[in-house]
Amino acid sequence: MKMAIIEVKNLEKTYRDETETTALRGLNFSIKNGEFVSIVGPSGSGKSTLLHILGFLDRLTGGEYLFEGKSMNDYSDEELAQVRNKKMGFVFQAFNLLPRTTVLENVKLPLLYSAVKESLWNEIALKAIDSVGLSDRVDHESARLSGGEKQRVAIARALINDPSIIFADEPTGNLDSKSGGQVMEILEKLNQEGRTIILVTHESYTAEYANRLIKVKDGLVEFDGPIVKEHKQQNGFIK
Amino acid sequence: MNRMRSFLTLLGIVIGITAIILVMSLGQGAQNLILSQIQSMGPKVIAVAPGRQPKGITDMLSTFTDSLKEKDIEELKKKNNVPHLADIMPIVFGSQTAVYENNAYRPTILGVTGLFTKIYNIYPNQGRIFTDEEVKGYADVAIIGSKVKTQLFGNDDALGQRIKIKGKSFRIIGIFPKTGQVSFLNFDDIAIIPHTTAQQYIFGIKYFNRIVIEADSEENVNRTVEDIKITLRNNHNITDPSKDDFFVETQAEALKMVGAITGIFTLFLAAIAAISLFVGGIGIMNIMLVSVTERTREIGLRKALGATGKNILTQFLFEAVMLTTAGGVIGIILGLLLSFVISFVLGHYLALAWQFVIPVQAIILGLGVSTLIGLIFGIYPARKASRKSPIEALRYE
Repeated sequence: MKMAIIEVKNLEKTYRDETETTALRGLNFSIKNGEFVSIVGPSGSGKSTLLHILGFLDRLTGGEYLFEGKSMNDYSDEELAQVRNKKMGFVFQAFNLLPRTTVLENVKLPLLYSAVKESLWNEIALKAIDSVGLSDRVDHESARLSGGEKQRVAIARALINDPSIIFADEPTGNLDSKSGGQVMEILEKLNQEGRTIILVTHESYTAEYANRLIKVKDGLVEFDGPIVKEHKQQNGFIK
Repeated sequence: MNRMRSFLTLLGIVIGITAIILVMSLGQGAQNLILSQIQSMGPKVIAVAPGRQPKGITDMLSTFTDSLKEKDIEELKKKNNVPHLADIMPIVFGSQTAVYENNAYRPTILGVTGLFTKIYNIYPNQGRIFTDEEVKGYADVAIIGSKVKTQLFGNDDALGQRIKIKGKSFRIIGIFPKTGQVSFLNFDDIAIIPHTTAQQYIFGIKYFNRIVIEADSEENVNRTVEDIKITLRNNHNITDPSKDDFFVETQAEALKMVGAITGIFTLFLAAIAAISLFVGGIGIMNIMLVSVTERTREIGLRKALGATGKNILTQFLFEAVMLTTAGGVIGIILGLLLSFVISFVLGHYLALAWQFVIPVQAIILGLGVSTLIGLIFGIYPARKASRKSPIEALRYE
């Protein structure tokens, strides 16, 4: 029995600006090490908010979130940053690469905030770039890459500190279906290597790369269950 | 960051630091020059000038130029009037054209006595200085500076030759070695003759432009100054010291005055530099705030990838400091270049013994100040950057 890496109990998030907006109204689920989970739901359902909280990018306002058995509320902002750096990898819809910077420098960015010795940075980064198949693009400026290549650079960057969990927020949203498929295959491979993947998407064909589906609607979990392999094959989304 | 924009923002810092370097380099140069000239007069020398001590540039005209006469010399020489007087020498001066054969040149003519060499510590390397008898006897003898010699005689021997000054013939009895600027006078550019002859035949006056007195020791200078004032007031029937028609200067006083003038000068320019640096600092703060806003997404990304607030703060503070320090370095280079050019012009074209000074203190100060400005004006934008929540920053379009 694998340990739960993520456990949420009655998770709530309310934004207080001029008006009060409740994004999440009490979610309950747990995710085990090595799972590949798709979180889906219509826009405004709160799925992105959920991902941000799970990824330690945002604080919750009610309930509890245990990451590796420790409550998020027990972490200071500095500690959250350290956990993000060491144990979590992020892939965003908009890639978020530094534009006038080479692929290598982009991939090395998280190391800047880690305890890894600077003499090892290049070696580690080159290995990560190789794992997403971009060894021939190492010295290219990131702005000159195609969308698919950019997202693969972002994945390499997410992998650099060997995280146990990867959060992907609509990673194929800005890509054509071919490069989107490549990105999803890489994520699938990473999952097979034993990493937990949490994917937020509104496209069903990407959602189906996962083993488990969590549907969020109006700030609540509407459905939580496994995705059956056969079903995937029927839809023809598996290579 | 946009290079052109950064450069324009830096101008304030560059100008401020340039001003600091310029002020300190030229100020030091000017002070060195003036001090060396004053010191060359010797600490025991006291100069008496006619008129009131000028209180400012507009006050220059309020002088009684004919107040120092032969009678004053006689009174000052008396032991019971000025007991610590060692030497006394009157000076008359002015520019006159000197002619030798077809050559003419206009040196400064100084009418003095034989004590000139001792007081100014300059001796002819050819020939001799005139004797007391020659001074008393209105002798037509002259000692000329090296430039005057070259202008009138070229490479020919000048000793024993006769030149004409204002129609009167003078025999060259001595030539000064090349000396340059000493004590407000270019010694290469003078001709000295007995003051009696100068008063009678060249300037046609009965008064003196200066009386130079040497005290018997440095300790007695202040006492001697007082004795001189009392003697001259008695002699000129002055009871109210504010109505003095002469003024007395010593090296110490001159040094004090130079210090005060250069102090005000430096303060004034330092204030300009400070204003420029302040404005420059606000410019830096402004561009850093713009940069923080423009790079909101980058900040969010860095935070998502594990940067702490402190990391972000350090990054932006470092960028601000790099920016201002770059401005500081440019300012230092520019300031040194300008100082060098100005020193060169002053030394070359105005024939001043001006030395280019590399103001090490100013360079250190300039670097320190520009770094400090980066820190002071960079801290607010950097804090603003560090406090952005990663998620809000990532959402920012």
